[in-house]
Amino acid sequence: MNDTLLKVVGLKKVFPVKASAFSTKTLALRAVDGVDLELKRGETLGVVGESGCGKTTVGRCLLRLYEPDAGRVYLDPEDDIVRQVTELDEEGAALAEELEELENQPTKTGADKQRLRSLGQTIAQKKHQADDLAKDSDLLTMDRHKLKDRRRRIQMVFQDPWASLNPHMVVKDLIGEGPKEYGTHVGRDLDRWVMELLEKVGLPPQAANRYPHEFSGGQRQRIGIARALALTPSLIVCDEPVSALDVSIQAQILNLLISLQDDFDLTFLFIAHDLSVVQYISDRVAVMYLGKVVETAVSSQLYANPRHPYTRSLLAAVPVADPDHPNDLKPPEGDVPSPVNPPSGCTFHPRCPHKIDICERVIPVLGKDQDGHVIACHNPPNG
Amino acid sequence: MSKLLEVKGLKTHFHMHGYTVRAVDGVDFELAEGETLGIVGESGCGKSQTSMSIMRLVPDPPGKIEAGEVLFRGTDLLNLSNPDMRRIRGNNISMIFQEPMTSLNPVYSVGYQISEVLMLHRDMTKADALKESARLLGLVGMSDPEERVNEYPFQLSGGLRQRAMIAMAMACEPDVMIADEPTTALDVTIQAQILRLMASLKERTGTSIMFITHDLAVIASFSDRVMVMYAGVVVEQASVREIFKKPLHPYTQGLLGSIPVLGEVKRNPDGSRRLLNAIPGSLPDHRNFPTGCRFAPRCTKVMARCWEAEPALVHIEEGHQVRCFLYSDEVQETPAYQEVKHAQSRMAKRRAELKNKQTSEVESSRE
Repeated sequence: MNDTLLKVVGLKKVFPVKASAFSTKTLALRAVDGVDLELKRGETLGVVGESGCGKTTVGRCLLRLYEPDAGRVYLDPEDDIVRQVTELDEEGAALAEELEELENQPTKTGADKQRLRSLGQTIAQKKHQADDLAKDSDLLTMDRHKLKDRRRRIQMVFQDPWASLNPHMVVKDLIGEGPKEYGTHVGRDLDRWVMELLEKVGLPPQAANRYPHEFSGGQRQRIGIARALALTPSLIVCDEPVSALDVSIQAQILNLLISLQDDFDLTFLFIAHDLSVVQYISDRVAVMYLGKVVETAVSSQLYANPRHPYTRSLLAAVPVADPDHPNDLKPPEGDVPSPVNPPSGCTFHPRCPHKIDICERVIPVLGKDQDGHVIACHNPPNG
Repeated sequence: MSKLLEVKGLKTHFHMHGYTVRAVDGVDFELAEGETLGIVGESGCGKSQTSMSIMRLVPDPPGKIEAGEVLFRGTDLLNLSNPDMRRIRGNNISMIFQEPMTSLNPVYSVGYQISEVLMLHRDMTKADALKESARLLGLVGMSDPEERVNEYPFQLSGGLRQRAMIAMAMACEPDVMIADEPTTALDVTIQAQILRLMASLKERTGTSIMFITHDLAVIASFSDRVMVMYAGVVVEQASVREIFKKPLHPYTQGLLGSIPVLGEVKRNPDGSRRLLNAIPGSLPDHRNFPTGCRFAPRCTKVMARCWEAEPALVHIEEGHQVRCFLYSDEVQETPAYQEVKHAQSRMAKRRAELKNKQTSEVESSRE
């Protein structure tokens, strides 16, 4: 076992959307467009971005609540396998590109047609090989039984505590549903476990026999957290767990999450739009823009020394709760472009103050850099 | 600076089936010419209902403004006839709502909705009003306003809708603009754009702004003076610097401790994670506020007398008011409190009578 818990490679998710209300034509909304992430054991990785940047979709794809269109999600990855699979996938992708080029040729000779057929075969072969290699650790290719077994290791806390708890079930059953399904706790043992969880999340034991509507937003979020803990997972995906809560309750939930992380040895993927909250709770932060990760860094570094122009303008737009702070907010101009029709090249270029010619043509990739601080930018501003 | 708007003892209650919600329960404040007053509080603290009461937009029934005065340049808005009040709304006092999608009419074009205000208050012709609407949309930073005028709310993004709302609110250059959580539904970058826009408009027209929000950071960057509300009452009021640098009320202190600040250290010297100073407990049930100080059940500095009587909002220093027994012994003379006082004095009297009787009986038996 190495210290990487989860590794996401080239995750893609495309949603079909109607071109207009009465149209039969569908367009492709690229919600997540090639995301790579890595989660170390016991750390909290924050994912921030504006609405529509795909951060929630990433979280849901990890649990296969949405079925991703491409990519690999390794749980407990082995470096060897990951490397081999990635190589095969890359070869396959290169061949697929060639295939597409050939297909788009207006006139095809006999040799071309033959090449097409053999290309198709090789691609399928490579994919099969890669899937075969990955099927033990990749959540997206493994079979049903294995997936069910792995699922208990990844749990989720949802954003809206009013919509994510079944109103017909009492708290005891809500929390106990997972352990019952997996048979980890039964009978009196299950009751004891539920009580212990309630205590851990700071709810009274009497809560067990009540229905969700009897609780306030903060308490419901505690129930949601207890439910996520019930199967003692390794990873919890927290999708905006505090954005629906009041300020004073938000602080309680953040404190709870931090103390539970130590108690249960948890790794968090913390998705939120509030930069100060993400900065507070995370060890590392990934900034997303239009379905892509544009910058990843240790959270203190990201704040002290943001390097991607988008991160810079995002930070410049956050007001600070201090009247002495020079709150001259410098937000980026304009709106986030539609992910249905993203700009060519670097998707941030229409709003970027550091734009150069290449930005309009070539999509930048996440570079490798010291201290795990990486950005996807052609012309990073100095500093 | 002269007083533009003065609210005295405002009480807005909602009479529901079987219980009463005292949403606003005795709120006093002033708004000076050209000032930005930030009103901060959590959900259910009455900050939105205060502004709705000023505009007289409280749904009646079940809501009812029970008591108080809202003096705008000396005239009490609560006593105005409906037609007179309509002349004030949109013209002298206008409002920006939280959700631009639900507060714009989906079946009318943006331009029509803005020009409606102008036709009503400025007696403009439709053509002129539309032209003026386009100018206003340009002013709030929309690109090609001549075309946007004919677009419908669903065609605009959230930020653009909020700009349209601001254009509508600014159409008649009002004296007071009430912004009820204008940026809560927006992304940070769009929020920053809207805040900048409001600041520049304010500079140009000198409008006073009442800025209602739950976001302390926004308050810090935008207001001159801050009013903190909790459970229907004002608990502290001071200049923005005083509130952030020298908060007096335990609730204000708790709120400031609850928010993570960008760039702050997250580890204690010994390497353990630093926790936020969260306020324990949850918000009070709006049907049944605690007697005595409303913050007492969650307060870390609670004293015996906090449970008995409600403290009054008193001036501690110039421009700094706080409602807490830590700083003053003055008691809020509420009807409930007077009743309790009355009952207590009655009981004390009765007890004294009984004692007298007993002693006299004892004495008489001795004799």
